[in-house]
Amino acid sequence: MTKRHVFLIALLAALALAGCHKADGEKPADAAAETAQEQAGQTEDGLLRLAVNADIVTMDVHKTTNDYIVPMNVFDTLFSIKKKGDGSTEIVNRLAETYEISEDGLTYHFTLRDGVVFSDGTPLTAQDVKFTFERMLTLPDSAQTDYAIAIDGAQELLDQKADSLRGITVEDDRNFTITLAEPFAGFIASLATPPTSIFSEKLVTDAGDAFGVEPEKTIGTGPYIIREWVRGSRLVFEYNPKYWGDEPSVKRVEVVVMEPQVMSMAFQKGDLDVLDCFLLDAAIVNSTYKTDTYKDRLVSTERLGLNFLMLNEKIEPLNNVQVRKAIQQAIDREAILKSIYDGDGKLEDGIFPTGCLGYSSNNQGWLPYNPAAAKKLLADAGFADGFDLELCLDSTATDSVKNTIQVIAQNLNDVGIRASIRSLDHASYLDLRNSGDMTAYWALWLLDFNDPDNIIYTFFGSRDNTKVRSNNYADDAVIERVAEAKTIVDETKRFKEYEALEKKIVEEDAAIVPMFSLKHLYVIGDRVKHFTPHWAGWNDVYFEDTVL
Amino acid sequence: MKAERKRNTGQELFRACLHNKAALISGLIILLIILLSTFAPLFTHYDETGQDLMNRLMPPGNGHLFGTDELGRDVFTRILYGTRVSLLIALLPTALAAALGTALGICAASFRGATDFIIMRLADIMLSIPGMLFAMVVLYTLGGSLASVVISLILIEWGETARVVRSVTLKLRESEFVEASVSAGAGGLHVMIWHILPNLLPTIIVLFTLNIPASILSESALSFLGIGIQPPQVSLGLMTGASRQYLFQMPWLALAPAGMIMVIVLSFHFFGDALRDILDPGRRTA
Amino acid sequence: MKGLLARMFGVVIVLIGVIALIFIMLWVIPGDPATVLLNDHVSQANIDRLTQSMGLDKSLPEQFFGYMKGILTGDFGSSYFMQQPVLSLILENFPYTLRLTLLAIAFSWTLGIASGVISAVCHEHFLDYLFRGTAVLGISVPVFMVALFLQYLFYYRFSLLPLTYDGSFVSLILPAVALGWNSAGSVARLMRSELMEQLDAPYIDTAKAKGLTYKKAVLAHALRNAAPSVITLMALQLSGMLSGAVITESVFSIPGLGQLALTAVQTRDMPLLQGTVIFTALLIAVGNILADMINTMLDPRLRTE
Repeated sequence: MTKRHVFLIALLAALALAGCHKADGEKPADAAAETAQEQAGQTEDGLLRLAVNADIVTMDVHKTTNDYIVPMNVFDTLFSIKKKGDGSTEIVNRLAETYEISEDGLTYHFTLRDGVVFSDGTPLTAQDVKFTFERMLTLPDSAQTDYAIAIDGAQELLDQKADSLRGITVEDDRNFTITLAEPFAGFIASLATPPTSIFSEKLVTDAGDAFGVEPEKTIGTGPYIIREWVRGSRLVFEYNPKYWGDEPSVKRVEVVVMEPQVMSMAFQKGDLDVLDCFLLDAAIVNSTYKTDTYKDRLVSTERLGLNFLMLNEKIEPLNNVQVRKAIQQAIDREAILKSIYDGDGKLEDGIFPTGCLGYSSNNQGWLPYNPAAAKKLLADAGFADGFDLELCLDSTATDSVKNTIQVIAQNLNDVGIRASIRSLDHASYLDLRNSGDMTAYWALWLLDFNDPDNIIYTFFGSRDNTKVRSNNYADDAVIERVAEAKTIVDETKRFKEYEALEKKIVEEDAAIVPMFSLKHLYVIGDRVKHFTPHWAGWNDVYFEDTVL
Repeated sequence: MKAERKRNTGQELFRACLHNKAALISGLIILLIILLSTFAPLFTHYDETGQDLMNRLMPPGNGHLFGTDELGRDVFTRILYGTRVSLLIALLPTALAAALGTALGICAASFRGATDFIIMRLADIMLSIPGMLFAMVVLYTLGGSLASVVISLILIEWGETARVVRSVTLKLRESEFVEASVSAGAGGLHVMIWHILPNLLPTIIVLFTLNIPASILSESALSFLGIGIQPPQVSLGLMTGASRQYLFQMPWLALAPAGMIMVIVLSFHFFGDALRDILDPGRRTA
Repeated sequence: MKGLLARMFGVVIVLIGVIALIFIMLWVIPGDPATVLLNDHVSQANIDRLTQSMGLDKSLPEQFFGYMKGILTGDFGSSYFMQQPVLSLILENFPYTLRLTLLAIAFSWTLGIASGVISAVCHEHFLDYLFRGTAVLGISVPVFMVALFLQYLFYYRFSLLPLTYDGSFVSLILPAVALGWNSAGSVARLMRSELMEQLDAPYIDTAKAKGLTYKKAVLAHALRNAAPSVITLMALQLSGMLSGAVITESVFSIPGLGQLALTAVQTRDMPLLQGTVIFTALLIAVGNILADMINTMLDPRLRTE
């Protein structure tokens, strides 16, 4: 009786408000949403419905290092990376039709694909490429300077000592040359990542502040046009009829922002076409989706990245290599992988994850779980009674990471290290890590482009890098070698050097505790015939690779 | 003489509680919960942080009354220990905020003028910032812990009490019996303690019992956002928040702590209401 | 009139206090928008550059007075994080929160007042407990649990209502119930306790003596006399609603002020946080002044104050 009452009252209130609502005229945003829904209803074919757990901040990739869903689908890069049947990756030409590298590995000559236009009809020219890289370096709030810094003259432009980027020479509308300051073997691969998406000089200049904020002013050459962006709520993409490539099967994409537990409900009711299991607990995925009903609809890909525990060598007693080695052996990585991640991954003993170029099986299989040995190492190092250790946790981390940290703390306590967990909100966490004072933390690095440099340089490439990653790795000679490795032109020699560096940093110096690489699981709905995850297992996907 | 009268009031109150069904039942439940959580180790042989990765997410049974959680810890044990923290969060910041709010509210109403202005503007400032946001900023500054949750709750709760107490005090001061006692020569402090405060009590108790659920729920909301009590420490709000993912597949994980929150909140609610009925000055004088 | 002017003066003081408080708090808490923007792809050089371009390397007084100068000329600045003018972001998001809050308040008042009256009239009757139970259920369960259950029931089980906000009106019902139920309990119990106090008052006996039925006596007199406290509570509720909106909006993906403020705190986006807080503070101040005005109209005794 009471419940019915409550419901009635709710209904009455709702109706009353509905009346008011209609009377004072529709709000434009609502009207747009409703017509969008109608359209969606009519063009049922070609509609792909996805969910993400956090909205993007900007559509301008020069101002973000996180939000790649718009650049990946609305813009284009010179190259792209595709995953082959055997799991290895290859670089495919996109906007660049051909390219040549000089023998010294310094000069790259490119020819652009003919007839590429932006979605409003503006033709793509070589000058746009130059403009894009110059913008990366000159925009006051650019977050992507790293992708242009290898180019000759980039540092001068960044320091405002030059007016243009001398390393890029435009020959004609389709031909241009890029000269690097030093050889960089990963350069072509870096041109396949979303941050190096090519913008139009004319369109970006015309749009001014609206670029990256207003959908109609954010125009690229990619397969899709961004139609609508309601902050904190949803993104709508539509096929770009002027796209130079093949017409994709997906014509319209609606991306909704949702809490993870809500996504699962929406998927089961058929309101989502793809469910990203990354944010769900493995146990839920196991009990709900690894079942007879869904097991044929599971898509799995390797996340090309390493999960590891970072140890700060600046903080006592982590400055003692014996202590770090003890920690390495004290953690039951296999149990964590098996229980918390339901075995969907692979133990890693190195810094380069499986699938990463430069991965070496020589550096695998040396790290056992051996709490007894860990205790002995601790005792030998003079810490028989243990010590206090603070594990830092980002409060926005996934539940799986939070659980992992708690297990690690328990593992460490079992060998006598009094580990405590310090949870910090995202911004405070980053601030502490960047300051170089974070004691130990759970780190994940997903490859931006498939080159060993991408991961090892990030963490051990310079004094500054070791500081902002709070590892404060002590061996300057090794740091120098890491920085130099990227300039080795001979590939075999280069990978040999990376193998040696990996052994030195992870096995001999125990700078990190390598944990595992994980699989990225998706469940796809009945309407999706073929779903292709990102080659490196990122959360964002290229819509055009999906077939309905 | 005065002490005598006080004891009588206490006894009267106790006897009245015994006669009021709602007060008796809810009071007993509160007592039971306090005992259960205080003597938690007597009721369970598990450790609240003891992990058992091989037996994670077990359904109720097999020696686990409410099953095990995502790290194989006994949910029943964690509820007992979580209740300790949640009771602390229910009572401590609420009581401190009520005391602070009452004191400031009475001050504002008695002194008026600049004191009143400053106190009430301070209260306005606190009440103008949505409590959740303010609590977040405090927690970000101090880091998530029991102490920071308590501090942030005091900060967001005192203003409301101060404002209500002030307005009721003003009303009371105008009322006939206070005017009568003032004209009979009673001093300010005397009037405050013997005439205004007792008459404020029902209001304060209603606000206090209102704020108990509010405190528990604020803590759970903060835990939902991941910034309240931090593991390995456990609170009911944290347990509910952390198990929301499992709500439909493993409902016991979220329902058990949520149920406990409900029982605590409802008990305090009904107890507070009953107490208000008993303390009602209109009835007592009648 | 003079009273109103004084109130306005008070509001201005409060706003300045709010701005100063938020400034200091954001100064004290670690982290800044530059680090959040760079996130994992961070380098020391980029931190330094971004910090400078956002003006975060300036001293506290310099930032404060710079900001105040902007406010006085009607410029609320640009969000560091979202790189858009704060005012346009707020105006874009506010209508969603307004709709949600109005609907939630309507729900909570209807349920709260109804159950409060019934509780008071049928005191200690089983109906009393039933209604108190329903109203109090809302304050005894965390908002996100209520939200999840509503979603489960009305979307997953019975396919009656949309799961998240999709721009349509019906998709606002669940969030409004989740948000409003919470405060319905508070309205109900205050209503009940005030009414019961009023029912003991001598004038009710007089009214009954005058031949009014008990129910009419309640409605005609007690309700009116209990109104001031309830209206004061409602004004206070506004702030609670805006707090609750933070959670409700994120569970139901409503692009409202709550989410904006949440992002602002999380990313230490000073201009955005200031903007949203000033905006809500103004709303709450207006709500309080309105409540007082209504109270004064209902209860002439308060006019002497």
